[in-house]
Amino acid sequence: MRFSMLPSVFAQMFKKPWTNKFPAKYTPSNTTQFLKDVSEGKAEIIPPVQTPNGFRGKIKYDKEKCIGCKLCLKVCPCEAIEFKPKEKKIKIYLARCCFCSQCNDICPTNCLSMSDEFLLAGADPYSKDLIVE
Amino acid sequence: MNQKATTKTTYHIPIGPIHPALKEPVYFEFELAGERIVDVNVKLGHVHRGIEWAGMRRNPIQVLYLAERICGICSYCHPAAFALAVEAAADIQVPERAEYLRVIQGELERICSHMLWAGVAAHEIGFDTVLYLTWQIRERALDLTEYLTGNRVTKAIMMIGGIRRDITNDMLPRIKKDMLYFKDNFEKLRHVFLDDKTVKMRSQGAGILTKDDAIKLCAVGPTTRASGVKKDVRVGESYFAYGDLDMKCITPKDLTGTVNGDVYDRIIQRLLEVKQAIELIEECIDKMPSGDIVAEPKIPKLLSQLKKTNGEGVGRHEAPRGEVIHYVKLDGKSECPYTWKVRAPTYNNILPWIPMLMGEQIADIPIVAASTDPCMSCTNRVAVVSSGRKYELTKEQLHNLSIEKTRRLMK
Amino acid sequence: MTKKKLTPEEVVKYLKDEFKTKIKDVKIVKRKSGSKKNESKYIWMKVDKSVFKQAIKHLCKLQFPHLAVASGNDLDKTIELIYHFTLNYDQRLDEIVLNISVELPKSDPTIDTISDIIPGALITEREKMEMLGVKIDGIPDDRRVFVPEDIPVGVYPWRKDKTGPDKFYKNLHEVKK
Repeated sequence: MRFSMLPSVFAQMFKKPWTNKFPAKYTPSNTTQFLKDVSEGKAEIIPPVQTPNGFRGKIKYDKEKCIGCKLCLKVCPCEAIEFKPKEKKIKIYLARCCFCSQCNDICPTNCLSMSDEFLLAGADPYSKDLIVE
Repeated sequence: MNQKATTKTTYHIPIGPIHPALKEPVYFEFELAGERIVDVNVKLGHVHRGIEWAGMRRNPIQVLYLAERICGICSYCHPAAFALAVEAAADIQVPERAEYLRVIQGELERICSHMLWAGVAAHEIGFDTVLYLTWQIRERALDLTEYLTGNRVTKAIMMIGGIRRDITNDMLPRIKKDMLYFKDNFEKLRHVFLDDKTVKMRSQGAGILTKDDAIKLCAVGPTTRASGVKKDVRVGESYFAYGDLDMKCITPKDLTGTVNGDVYDRIIQRLLEVKQAIELIEECIDKMPSGDIVAEPKIPKLLSQLKKTNGEGVGRHEAPRGEVIHYVKLDGKSECPYTWKVRAPTYNNILPWIPMLMGEQIADIPIVAASTDPCMSCTNRVAVVSSGRKYELTKEQLHNLSIEKTRRLMK
Repeated sequence: MTKKKLTPEEVVKYLKDEFKTKIKDVKIVKRKSGSKKNESKYIWMKVDKSVFKQAIKHLCKLQFPHLAVASGNDLDKTIELIYHFTLNYDQRLDEIVLNISVELPKSDPTIDTISDIIPGALITEREKMEMLGVKIDGIPDDRRVFVPEDIPVGVYPWRKDKTGPDKFYKNLHEVKK
């Protein structure tokens, strides 16, 4: 049958598109202007699809619970964690992190956890948003 | 067509080796007589990243994540084979529930990978609508993977001695619903691929690999099973929980009755494997015992145990593309492996390209090369040697040639 | 295609009967997995360099093996090549993994090719030539496979002595930070 796909193609014309139109329906011609409009309340960002539980996003660090045992440094595959010897706490460089959450598993006091934040792109890898300490 | 004699350059621009749909560059050289290929020469090594050398400087847990990034599509089978090799070297016994969970994750990855391949194969013939249909089905499988492991592609779920996340009882209804969705759509896909006249015209008789050649050249995976050789690691060796499940080696004979070893047989082979994967997942969910999911939950203790081990081990797994084998040697002195050898399945499937492509036309190159599902497919540049004059074709020109041939056949 | 099922002990006896003392250190390892505790079988053996090619020919007469890959080790004064074969691959739960290792002295690291018996061994033999500096006699194609052209000829990436690639790498964060 040469036209085996034709029924699906016709049905598709009447269905709603699958794509979630994040952040806006059409690409804004000027991105910085668009972001300014959003902060003033003139435009709206359509939210992204909800991530499931257990999603591995930006790492959250509870500084009080950390005891400075350095076990997370040993298992990080990307060497993204630095130890601050004077305070005995750690500093995580998100620019190198690969979000494997192995440090969460090994931490004896459970001070590390993964949130569901994933909009982390930036131009400067050493900026304040991309360092967790 | 006017061609001037150009010099053959071996300078290659890699098309993003880090890409989820993963097309790594390979260099071909064809010798032509008219439109027919007379000789083929393959050059590799464009994406060689020195991963084995990097692995010899990291402890085994870090190497697990390094192994995951060898490939984006087969991102579960490399840590799986590595964990099997380390467990064989250190003699760690994995709990039973973990074995079943590992099977479920592996088969889910097989469904995702074969759906991607089906779309790519249809795209090479020129059927873009089928590309969108199969990738829509694949989106459902990727959402299920995200729900179970936390991420769509780099799953990070393998651990030496078990697995990192459990499947609890409240996750089961969602898995069962998705399996039903795949089963319903499987019949639609089967009808589109196997009953379509144009697909049959393009693929039957093209790229034949005889059974004899497949055995001699040590081909692996669906490429060799479609030629009639019954080689499947899941059937032969008892690893994970495959020894308990009802599995047999599938060849295209089960559907059509004869085996030709051409592109059409490989399409049949992969669709039947998707069906088998769905049945295996359902069987695993029914039979899974309760228990621990990892042999040694305290990771520092595991690392110190591996530091003292002295031994070597081989781990083999059936990836969607064939047999993956990892060899690990641990000496008792340092934490890092002394030797780590990785052999991805596509490297055994490259030599069969030569007998498959002899006698074919240039326009058949994309579909024949894509039918072996290389994890390093689509050349970025192909140098064509035609009766003494050389000219180069880029990927877009090859693709257009393939689509034009389909239009000619349809007239 | 196999008609009869081989056991690991039969395979070892078949090779030992022909080559007697040239085969040493034979180990048969069995590992259990799953709820039914089925076993997977591994054979490890060391074969002398002088009889290696005849041993492979003799094995092919018993059953044509599947060559998975050849891996290599740099032990201090010798280079060890390990060829990983599998037999019985179409029998349910009876596949045998046969690992044959050959030791070559570093002063004369030559060995015969097996790509005339098993054509699929071509790429893995070429890889050993460039990664460990082994010379393989009789190979039809001796170009480099994976290592790029700007690494010079005498540098062997898998070796741990002074011909290793230590001069050729830099740590990125030390350079950029």
